[in-house]
Amino acid sequence: MSPPSPSTGSLATATPAPGSETDSRAGLHLPRFGALWAKAIDYGTAALLVILALLASLGIQHLFDFPYPFLFLFFGAVMVSAWIGGMGAGLFAVLLSTLSVDYFFVPPFYSWQISTTAETYFVAFVLCALVASWISSAKKRSEQALQEARDQLEIKVSERTAALMQTQADLARLSRALSMGELTASIAHEISQPLTAVVTNGDACIQWLSANPPNLEKARQSTEKIVQDGTRAGAVVARIRALFKKEEPVKDWVNVNETIEELVEFLRHEASSRQISIRTQLIPTLPLVNVDRVQLQQVVLNLVMNAMDALDDAVGKKREIVIRSTTSGGNEILVSVEDCGPGLNPDTIDKIFDPFFTTKPQGIGVGLSISRSIIESHEGRLWSSPNPNGGAIFQFTLPIGRQELR
Amino acid sequence: MTERFTIFVVDDDESVRRALGNLLESVGFEVQLFGSTEQFRGVELPNNPSCLILDVRFPGANGLDFQQSLHQAGIHIPIIFITAHGDVPMASRALRAGAIEFLMKPFQKGELLAAIEQALERDRVRRSQHEELSILQVRFAELTSREREVLGLVVSGLTNKEIGNRLGISEVTTKMHRGQVMRKMNAFSLAELVRMSDKLSSANSR
Repeated sequence: MSPPSPSTGSLATATPAPGSETDSRAGLHLPRFGALWAKAIDYGTAALLVILALLASLGIQHLFDFPYPFLFLFFGAVMVSAWIGGMGAGLFAVLLSTLSVDYFFVPPFYSWQISTTAETYFVAFVLCALVASWISSAKKRSEQALQEARDQLEIKVSERTAALMQTQADLARLSRALSMGELTASIAHEISQPLTAVVTNGDACIQWLSANPPNLEKARQSTEKIVQDGTRAGAVVARIRALFKKEEPVKDWVNVNETIEELVEFLRHEASSRQISIRTQLIPTLPLVNVDRVQLQQVVLNLVMNAMDALDDAVGKKREIVIRSTTSGGNEILVSVEDCGPGLNPDTIDKIFDPFFTTKPQGIGVGLSISRSIIESHEGRLWSSPNPNGGAIFQFTLPIGRQELR
Repeated sequence: MTERFTIFVVDDDESVRRALGNLLESVGFEVQLFGSTEQFRGVELPNNPSCLILDVRFPGANGLDFQQSLHQAGIHIPIIFITAHGDVPMASRALRAGAIEFLMKPFQKGELLAAIEQALERDRVRRSQHEELSILQVRFAELTSREREVLGLVVSGLTNKEIGNRLGISEVTTKMHRGQVMRKMNAFSLAELVRMSDKLSSANSR
């Protein structure tokens, strides 16, 4: 008899097609023809398996000349038939096996009759075959139920994951909008400056032209400046749009240093109005990382805005924020944002990354938790530690992609 | 324009600064541009009417604080604030501290020129008042201490006799001191002398 485990293994891989047919039969959704065809295959397989078992048993009988008929292969055929085709096919295989055994192996041989001495033996065979069929089909049923449950669980998990991702994306957008709200003054400033220059130079140009005689050289110079300032205003708008407009996360090979520099340029006015200076220490050899640029900027923005708020609470401290970038351990980059504010409160340090935990009167407490989830979704880590010079350090890592390691 | 006027512009944004320079030059003002308040502090203010156009926001400094520090240093140049993102408290603080105008960028040429005109007018008045006061102060400085005492009592409405009694001198001597005071202060009547005294005392109390 063939060892059971490899045969079940190979059959298990072959089962899905008939298995799914069984499902649809239960639901009666398939056309009648499909259901019949599937049944025919099941019963055909059962017949084929029994014939194979019969041929093999006859062969073994003739070759080795056992004292008792060698009938175990029939049990194998019954079990496999029941496994593939279910209870019906299993019973069909039992019937065929019984007939074959009766005809070929139970004395008198080659006749349908059964001698009284062989009766017990024959009945035992039939009972064993029935039990084998029942066990096999029952096992198959429970296996199928388990598989179904597993599939459903997987669907549920992926549905929940999608819902959670959606919530996270919504929160990320909300927190970005909040950051934008805090930066409205800076944005207004960025746009108003070139616009003021345009309007003022335009007025000057009119004035030069309406002088008597008109000063054409000065008018031309004014117009040139208008073009320059207009271009600058356009660039500011494009930069703000690039910073915040995009909503779908798109991973790309990003130069983290450039991203930081852009953001610092953007925050320059906000910082200066709070009398804070932002210093960067970025190593020029920083490898590219495969991340979503907008999300990365949002994380750095959150950390810098937090640092600025911390400095607002501090009196008599150095009003400086330092942003550093470096590589760490050869397979990741490390970005840190340091401030010299009052530092982290030991009572609340464990909670700062919790959603909706905040120490700010107007805060809603999503910045750090969003930042951490963004970094973790990029397989990095974000954590905080006390600054040796007073204040706090927030730092995160991002893995260096394979493309860069090559 | 017969009189010379100087406009100082302090704004850290180069394009705005130069645009303002261009506009003010086109309408005939003399303009000096500065990128920071420190640079402006280093300059000597001219003797003709002038005003300062000052951005509210600077890296590391604040236009409103600078206004206060100019005031404390006794520099009374009229200030027109310009800002890209002012709010009401900011504007009210600036105006209460004596600013001429608080203009939001981008502003209209008319608004700016009207504000400048008002600023220059105020500076002219302040200068002439200041000039008059300094003349009075020079005259007052020439009085002897006895004459100053007599001046104080005269303007408080006492007669020569009462003054003499108060100071323990004769009425004739009092009359002589009073004549000297009138002459040195270049006053033609008692009323004028009272007015001069008021100006001096209000300048001293400031």
